[in-house]
Amino acid sequence: MKKFLIACFLFVVMANAYATPEEDRLALREFFAQRFPDLDLNEMTNGLYAFDEGAREQWLEMEDFPPYEIAIEAGEEDFNQPFANGKSYADCFENGGIGIRQNYPRFDTETGEVVTLEVAINKCRKDNGEEPLPWLTGELANISAYMSYTSRGNKMNVVIPDDPRALAAYEAGKEYYYTRRGQLEFACENCHMQSAGSLLRADTLSGMLGQATHWPVYRSKWGEIGTLHWRFQECNAQVRAKPYEAQSPVYRNLEYFLSYMSNGMELNGPASRR
Amino acid sequence: MKRKLTLLVAALATGLVMNTSAMAADAAEYEAALDKARQTLSDAESKVQLWTTSEILLEDAARAAAAGDFDLAVKLVNEASLHAELAVATAEREKKVWQKSVPK
Repeated sequence: MKKFLIACFLFVVMANAYATPEEDRLALREFFAQRFPDLDLNEMTNGLYAFDEGAREQWLEMEDFPPYEIAIEAGEEDFNQPFANGKSYADCFENGGIGIRQNYPRFDTETGEVVTLEVAINKCRKDNGEEPLPWLTGELANISAYMSYTSRGNKMNVVIPDDPRALAAYEAGKEYYYTRRGQLEFACENCHMQSAGSLLRADTLSGMLGQATHWPVYRSKWGEIGTLHWRFQECNAQVRAKPYEAQSPVYRNLEYFLSYMSNGMELNGPASRR
Repeated sequence: MKRKLTLLVAALATGLVMNTSAMAADAAEYEAALDKARQTLSDAESKVQLWTTSEILLEDAARAAAAGDFDLAVKLVNEASLHAELAVATAEREKKVWQKSVPK
């Protein structure tokens, strides 16, 4: 009997410690399905507008002339501008870079690192003798916006290959998401799971599902379009945790986990937010 | 009697001087505290994500030192170290409990 109980205990411990990414994703969807039984979970790709009807109406009106439109146009122009060596971004990506955002971030089994779309864009530049672009906004965000635009409607399809380093990167991102940090001791989860749909001062908090489907984003607060890692930095600073560098391994792992959680949901980037 | 009085005054004066030097921080004490704090922050940052407050406190301390207020400067530097230590304590605690927040 004692051995049986120990075996049961070990089974439970192992099951908890080694939930697969797919089990995590399904459990997360179930969490939100129970939390918001009347909500179509696919609506969560629209962030706070899935919860806040008043804000949603304003946002839908804004979508008639979306503030990110200029970024898409500029991004398309930059994307098609040949490098000094005559090659272009299209030469660096599958399908000429069109309609591929759903596959990012991806895990590079050669380098053992997570590659976000922004990293891939700058790698393309470097490989073709061009200077890398700043990570947070400007030309890189515009190109990323254009590539997102060409991927609208595609379903997020982040893959974790059969490589222990890929699983470790996913797990590191997961641990980061659920770990409290900063002087205010907030985890990402505290706002975007426990308090999703609730007000934090005057702002309705978005939910974790679909959080990776719509980047880059034009935030009214920023007054320009910016990449996801800018938002990571901002979230960290808001809880008084010293932000990491954009595209640092910590943030890339976080994006890997966050994006996997949105697998199967439609891409709708770029987007506008308050 | 006069000799006793002189000794008493001397003793009081010595005590006063010693007490004042023990209370008031100077540039050397600030620099020593700053070196220690920088080491503490560096050690903490190699392990965990610091609080933003630690570096802000060090900046405030530098301003206080520049204004000659070494008492305040040392106090702020020590507070910066404390915030780094608390960041480590939070991280160590979270290592043990973060899994509990993951939906099963």
